[in-house]
Formats: sequence, C-alpha cells, structure tokens
Amino acid sequence: MFTRFEEYAATQMLGQPDSPPRNDGKLLFSEEWQRTVFGLALALSKEGHFEWEDFRHNLISAIAAWEKNACAGEVTWDYYEQYAKALIELLEQRGMLKPGELERQMRLDEASK
Amino acid sequence: MSSLFDYDKDREAASAAKVRALEALLIKKGVLGSESVDAVLRHFETVAGPFNGARIVARAWVDPEYKARLLEDTPKAIAELQFPGMTGAEGEHMKAVANSPTVHNLIICTLCSCYPWPVLGLPPYWYKDPVFRSRGVREPRAVLREFGVTIPADKDVKVWDSSAQIRWFVIPEQPARSEHLNEEQLAALVTPEAMMGVALVPSPHTA
Repeated sequence: MFTRFEEYAATQMLGQPDSPPRNDGKLLFSEEWQRTVFGLALALSKEGHFEWEDFRHNLISAIAAWEKNACAGEVTWDYYEQYAKALIELLEQRGMLKPGELERQMRLDEASK
Repeated sequence: MSSLFDYDKDREAASAAKVRALEALLIKKGVLGSESVDAVLRHFETVAGPFNGARIVARAWVDPEYKARLLEDTPKAIAELQFPGMTGAEGEHMKAVANSPTVHNLIICTLCSCYPWPVLGLPPYWYKDPVFRSRGVREPRAVLREFGVTIPADKDVKVWDSSAQIRWFVIPEQPARSEHLNEEQLAALVTPEAMMGVALVPSPHTA
C-alpha cells in the first residue's frame, strides 16, 4: 500500500523493462534534463492528466522498439531519451500537445537565447 | 573518436532543449503548475531518495543510548536526527530491529512491496520479486546464502514482514576493526542491503 503517488509510480517500474537507472537507493540522473523529464511525467500523472500505467505502456513500447533497432541504428542506449519520447507521444495522443507545437516552442527558445 | 563524442554532446543538447521546451509549453498552456515538477522531484530527493539509513545506523553504533531509543520508539529516534523533508507520515510506521551475535534479521514484504523509503531510498528491483518474497519466508538461510551471507546454524534468523502498518529495517552489527572510525566514516560503510538484512557490513579494510 502506498500513501504517496511518487512511491507508487516508481515502485511499479522496478524490476520491469522500464525500470529507471538507480544507484545506492537513489535515482541516477546524469543530466539536468533527465531529472526534469522524469519529474514532468510524474507530475502530469499525479495531477490526473493520464494514468501512470498508460505512460508506462508507451515507455515499454519505446524501449522495445529501440531494442529491436539498436544494432541497425548504432545509437547508444539512453533511458531518458526513450522516456522523453514516450511522454511526448502520450501527450500527442491525448491532444495535450498539437503537432508542431513543441518544435515551435523550441524555435522560440532558440531565438530568445 | 572525437566525432563520436561530438555526436553525443549534440544529442544531449537536443534532448535538453526538447525537454526544456516541453516544460515551458505545458506551463504556458496551464496544463502544469510552475512548481509541480519540483514538488515531485523534491519528494525523491529529500524523502524517498537519499539513503538516510546509514546515518541512523552509525549514530546507533557510536551511541548505545540512541540505539536503545531507536529500538524502543523508532519514529521518535529518527526524528531526533532531523532529516530534511522528512516530516509526519513518512516516518510514522517504521520499526528498527538489531542484529546481534545471536540473531540475524531479514526484511521482506509478502503482500506487496512495503519498504521504509525515508531511510533506505528506492528499493532494489528484486525486493518486488515474488520468488524472493516467498522464499524469504520459507527458506531465509538459503536466500541469505545466495546473497553471500552465511549464517551459522546456532544463530537465529528472524524474518520480518513489512506492511503498511509497520515498515521494518535492520540495524546491522558494527564490523570488527571499525572502532577507530568517526560517525561519518562509519556511515559510509552501511548499505541499503545491510539494512534489509541481505548483506553484512564489511570491516573497513576488507571493504
């Protein structure tokens, strides 16, 4: 039984194909964006925008697709890259992100640098 | 080789830009509050993330009176150490048990995967494994042997089943030849596994 959504969400992933990288009882983030995207998915689900299991379904599919093409593409494994991909896909499927919207925001950010 | 590294740097930068834009966009659209992501992450970083348990164990080793208080009223004794972010409910249901020359304790959870997050951080993946859970009850000595911990036949093995009501953790035995270490150095020897009873704390020089 979990009294906190955060603990429920992280525990569901442990020992599964979508288990996040950990070290000594801590989540392991090598870059700030990995930490942010991890928090984004959790916060959105916690606030009721989607079920955590629906996000995990997308994440597991993204990881499986990477594994299938890993050798062909020669792109090294990056858990949080798949995580970001799964989240963006889910937001598009749910209409929370419209096609092209993210790219427009990225161009805006780039221009305001 | 350098082109490989360049590629990786670009890739990191692209991911970082994408995630930054995603967060900005969701906040702009009012889907997400500007504090929501930090609030979630803070839970992992201050409550259910850091391995606070090592400090609790080290204090119990250097201060027998603290150890007695920890065994007597675990939440109250943990509260004495004032871990940041740990208030109220998170520490409420914890109970410590101490290993000794005559008893070894093992923590499992047969129901789901109750775990003392605030002291041990994220559980290891096998903690949820139904095989670990059921064998832990049935043949704890065999399970411990597989973890590399051989318990002499004349030493008792006690198995504690965590639940929503009580989340157990183990105070391991202080290793030999560690008397000269200070509290901080002692804390560095303690692992989450030792506090689950599936490992012993090694002596400083054999570590």
